[in-house]
Amino acid sequence: MKIVTNKIKIAAIIGLSIIAFSCTDVVDITVPTEASRLVIGASLDWEKGSSGNNQTIKLSLSTPFYDTTPNPVTGASVKVENATNGDVFIFEDQQDGNYTISNFVPIINNSYNLEVIYNNETYIAQETLSPVTEITKIEQSLLGGSDEEELDLTIYFDDPADETNFYYITFLEGSDLFPTRVVLSDEFFNGNEVSIFYEETEADEEDEILPGDTVDIYLYSISEEYYNFTHRLIEQSDNAANPFATIPTRLKGNCINPENPDNYAFGYFRVTETDYRLYTFEEQE
Amino acid sequence: MNYFSLLFFILLSSVTFAQEEYTLRGTISDLANGESVFGTTVYLKGTTIGTTTNEYGFYSITAPKGEYTLVISYLGYKEIQKQISLTQDIKLNIEVEEDLNTLDEVVITATDDSKKINIRKPQMGVTTLKASTIKLTPAVLGEVDLIKTIQLLPGVSNNGEGSAGFNVRGGAVDQNLVLLDEAIIYNTSHFFGLFSVFNNDAIKSVKLYKGDIPAKFGGRTASVLDVRQKDGNNKNLEINGGIGLISSRLSVEAPLLKKKGSFLLAGRTTYAQYFMSFTDELQNDKISFYDLNLKTNYEINENNKIYLSSYFGRDVFNISNLFNSNYGNISANLRWNHIFNDKLFSNLSLIYSKYDYQIVLDFVELDWISDITNYNIKYDFGYYASDKIKIDFGVSGISYSLNPGEITPNSETSPINPLILDKKRAFEGGAYIDAEHKITDKLTARYGLRYSAFSRLGGQAITNYANNQPVVYNQYLGIYQEGEAIGETVYSKSETIKQFGNFEPRFGLSYLLTDDSSVKGSYTRTAQYLHLLSNTASVSPLDVWTTSGTYIKPQLSNQYALGFYKKFNNNAYSFEAETYYKTTENRIDYIDGADLIGNNYIETQILNGEARAYGLELMFRKNKGRLTGWVSYTLAKSEQRSFGGNAGGPGINNGNWYNTPYDRTHDISVTGIYKFTDKWTFSANAIYQTGRPVTYPTGQFEYEGISVIIYDDRNANRLPAYHRIDVSATYKPNRKPNNRLKGEWVFSVYNLYNRRNAASITFNQNYNTGANEALRTSIFGIIPSVTYNFKF
Repeated sequence: MKIVTNKIKIAAIIGLSIIAFSCTDVVDITVPTEASRLVIGASLDWEKGSSGNNQTIKLSLSTPFYDTTPNPVTGASVKVENATNGDVFIFEDQQDGNYTISNFVPIINNSYNLEVIYNNETYIAQETLSPVTEITKIEQSLLGGSDEEELDLTIYFDDPADETNFYYITFLEGSDLFPTRVVLSDEFFNGNEVSIFYEETEADEEDEILPGDTVDIYLYSISEEYYNFTHRLIEQSDNAANPFATIPTRLKGNCINPENPDNYAFGYFRVTETDYRLYTFEEQE
Repeated sequence: MNYFSLLFFILLSSVTFAQEEYTLRGTISDLANGESVFGTTVYLKGTTIGTTTNEYGFYSITAPKGEYTLVISYLGYKEIQKQISLTQDIKLNIEVEEDLNTLDEVVITATDDSKKINIRKPQMGVTTLKASTIKLTPAVLGEVDLIKTIQLLPGVSNNGEGSAGFNVRGGAVDQNLVLLDEAIIYNTSHFFGLFSVFNNDAIKSVKLYKGDIPAKFGGRTASVLDVRQKDGNNKNLEINGGIGLISSRLSVEAPLLKKKGSFLLAGRTTYAQYFMSFTDELQNDKISFYDLNLKTNYEINENNKIYLSSYFGRDVFNISNLFNSNYGNISANLRWNHIFNDKLFSNLSLIYSKYDYQIVLDFVELDWISDITNYNIKYDFGYYASDKIKIDFGVSGISYSLNPGEITPNSETSPINPLILDKKRAFEGGAYIDAEHKITDKLTARYGLRYSAFSRLGGQAITNYANNQPVVYNQYLGIYQEGEAIGETVYSKSETIKQFGNFEPRFGLSYLLTDDSSVKGSYTRTAQYLHLLSNTASVSPLDVWTTSGTYIKPQLSNQYALGFYKKFNNNAYSFEAETYYKTTENRIDYIDGADLIGNNYIETQILNGEARAYGLELMFRKNKGRLTGWVSYTLAKSEQRSFGGNAGGPGINNGNWYNTPYDRTHDISVTGIYKFTDKWTFSANAIYQTGRPVTYPTGQFEYEGISVIIYDDRNANRLPAYHRIDVSATYKPNRKPNNRLKGEWVFSVYNLYNRRNAASITFNQNYNTGANEALRTSIFGIIPSVTYNFKF
């Protein structure tokens, strides 16, 4: 996975250079387990061209590190309030950890407050919906990146000048389990045309991209706080097996418990606008 | 400077002028190659009058008029005894001959006096290694490595393979002052820590001061590694070389200008890049390093000698045409030794050193460069006042310029805007006096005082923050964040941004219990104005240095140490036990998720804190006989903490003490060298070390379809223990006595039982199954190698 981010991934690259001498294997290591905590997955994303009325918030509990079964939370009350105009949106418990709504109204530059009540504890968070620029073009090629025989693509968009922007971009190819994620700040290229390169990750070598394969591409406009959160999240999960990576730390999101601050929730409440493209690879000349 | 004059007064007042006294002085050098010998014991038999030679082989002894037997004794050399009639001042240069039989049966007739000289010196925590000892310890891929060898000493460790530098007594890598012929070496590693920058063929000796740092050194709190290059053979042309699996070496030494001078030129280069092109996986990768050492000296006359030494080394990486990087040190030192009179020796040095790196990322279309440069002038004096007092004093000035990073687009189409991080300038001045005072035959004291002054110079702007808080505790989210910038103060080049000054007293006492045992105690205060910014598990060559200034205070360290020393069987065995307690003020640490790369505002990512370390170090050495070597054991603790302070909040890890990444509870190493016959020498070392502190997961949560790891408190867990055994055998084939070419084969096996020591353990979600797993990265498994060395 070679992608452009604004903070040059030097650490990851140094990791690559010592690979010549090192080897990595999976080991059984016993790790400690802490008490579980509420996890709030509240991503209210408004796709350009859609109404944005249908939204889902996911609640669960954190689990021991090696557990493979999720731990959904039911019986909580979830509501979002538009802090700018006072509209209140109540989310309905689907009894499987999902809380849904079909009449949410996203408004650019409005602020939203989240409130979750679970086990008599109240969790709150705030976010502002900022607009996103459009993906202007998508180009595919064979030559870019680390593998010169495999198809890859580059997306382009224009960063608006005179304002500070933060972006979150995801690429999900065909049947991949996980998207490739990128966060960007326009610090180094404010007002320029930005290109983001995508190719299949090294971890997924067998699944070569062929003509006809599709990629789901999302470009989100995000807040600076969410940029910081996601930047760390991606860095920590991408940098496995890299001794030169930043020391990983606990990721606290923006969902707090004002009455009992130590009992904060994991996860994040984000409200974004997003530009979505489905790209189908073509035969390369 | 009242402190200095007071100190002088105390010292001078204790000098007795009762008897008629004369001075004997000169230099001690090696008969075979003319190299001056550092640390040789020179004394008058039957008295307690004696000294050791300084870095340039100089000695001076003052004694009452009379007949004496002068004894020159240095381990590994034949002892010399000479009748001296001290009825006037005498100049006497002496050549000592290496004793090639010392490794055989013990046939040493050391007098009792020689042992006393060393165990009487109040200097503690110091270890000297000769290049020949380093050469005999087994090495990975046959690359003899000074930095790996010092890790076999008590109190010295590192993060395992693939990590640059070393840690002394729970200190960080940047707290070591590494000097190559007095020039500061900012990065001691090649290949990201797999090898060191020191070419053993160019090195004469190495001295490591662990905490009890003499007043003549300043600027670092944990240790000084004083590496001296060879001067060059001034008797004959000498060529040394070696061909190994990874690299080859060649050095040439020869006399110059009618043997008034000599030179050494040594080079080393790798050729792994040629092998890599044969394997499919690595054919697009090129990695290599090389270095060059140069030294030359010229004796103008008996009292004046000049030296020029220089080092140049580089690493070059090209990974899959994506990532191009090269980095390295360059240094030069011009020295003038001047002997004012029989008692006053001086050395003036002009030193330049630079460390820089460049990264070219073609796929992002940018160039990144960064460097640190310093010019250093030093004037050091050694005054051999009397048979009881020796005084070292001097001044130094270092001018630094730091370029933390320049990013430039490297193509027309690059979307990258150029970015230049603020360049920093600073000046560090120092003055010191250090006296060794033999109070009685049993009691010797060392009084030292250093004054250091540091100025962060203008020529840049400093950002101001709301409420003077570069870092703010976000009460709401319970995390530390960047403060709000509210403008900046511009400082012109003639202005000073911030100034610091520190008195650094250093005291030592030694007391002879018996003729061959002593106890010592010391107190050392040190100040450090430069800091290496690194919040990764391993120090990388791309970490950036920064200076103290508006937001980063100088690190101040106090170390208290006690030691017991004993020698047995005529110096054949020695035992040392030292214990220390060390505190460091203003040790910075990084807030959770700190982002240091390309960050112009480091102050927004750090909290000020403190560190403490304590430990017990034991070392048993066998110095003579067929079997030589040492066993060392360290029991230690190293922790730090950072409060919120001005930023508010509880601090890192809730303000509680936590392990530093270099905390090792137990560290045991055994090194043995066995001379079996004249043809075969075997050596082995074994190492066991507690795993280094790391942060493990305590759970996970699902977010956006992925598993996010919940991490424990900082450094609350440990990697599995690190251990390995290395062996090597050196074979010197029969050779005709007249053949000048002398060859030897070195066969070695690193990590004999193929222990997969974890360089790191990381945790992630498997890309294909979605399950969480722990991944171990280990660097070297079992590595056999063969090297051919030759000498001509």
